[in-house]
Amino acid sequence: MVEASGIPTVVVSTGRDLSAQVLPPRTVFVNFPMGNSFGQPFDAHQQRTILLDALRALESIKRGGEMIDLPYEWPEPFAMNLGSGYSKSA
Amino acid sequence: MEPIAYVARLNEFYRSQGFPPYKWTINDSAPLTPMRRPLSECRIALLTSGGVSRKDAAPFNPQARNDLRVDPIANDTAADFFTIHDDYYNHADAERDINCIFPLERLRELAAEGVIGSVAPHHYSGFMGRTYIRTAVMNEAAPALARKLRDESVDAFVLVPA
Repeated sequence: MVEASGIPTVVVSTGRDLSAQVLPPRTVFVNFPMGNSFGQPFDAHQQRTILLDALRALESIKRGGEMIDLPYEWPEPFAMNLGSGYSKSA
Repeated sequence: MEPIAYVARLNEFYRSQGFPPYKWTINDSAPLTPMRRPLSECRIALLTSGGVSRKDAAPFNPQARNDLRVDPIANDTAADFFTIHDDYYNHADAERDINCIFPLERLRELAAEGVIGSVAPHHYSGFMGRTYIRTAVMNEAAPALARKLRDESVDAFVLVPA
């Protein structure tokens, strides 16, 4: 909708399959836990790097719906965190 | 590690709770508006859907349904002047450092260095989950936000779902 009004957008996603089905105009996927899209707290370098990747994708992605997989790895395996909300109701 | 299969996991969860299957938005094509000018001349704004509010605003209600609230967040808001109310992801790290999901400080630095042209006067926080009124989002809330972005001459918009 924002794109349709003439403003380019990019999504920074931690849910690869969720974004793949919504298909935003541009997506950068980072395989980090939801809630850590830009990495660890106070890791300004990592945060900046991912933000820059997203900004550069605004220019580099030329085809609507394209997703770039960023190469960063979270230091340890992580599980889906459903959050307390899912135990209350969905 | 392989990306988490959120869709399958959530479908399984809804089924286990006896809920009807969630109607996912599935698009098979996407529009693309090209950038009009180089990044170094662009004014950038951010959006978070992570239940982030300024400490002087009412907190978001994580259990609300169809809440189309979208708060403007002044760009000069201090990084420690936020509170997060959302029960559907782990925001412990983001509470310590808002830049984990809403990298205001990093964006300001990129503007100061000239990597981007400028930071927009306002960012936005809203579009919490549990929204089952897609038509209202598409016909009202999203166009209203697009108007605000245009009014502040925003050249590109970075969206961070949570």
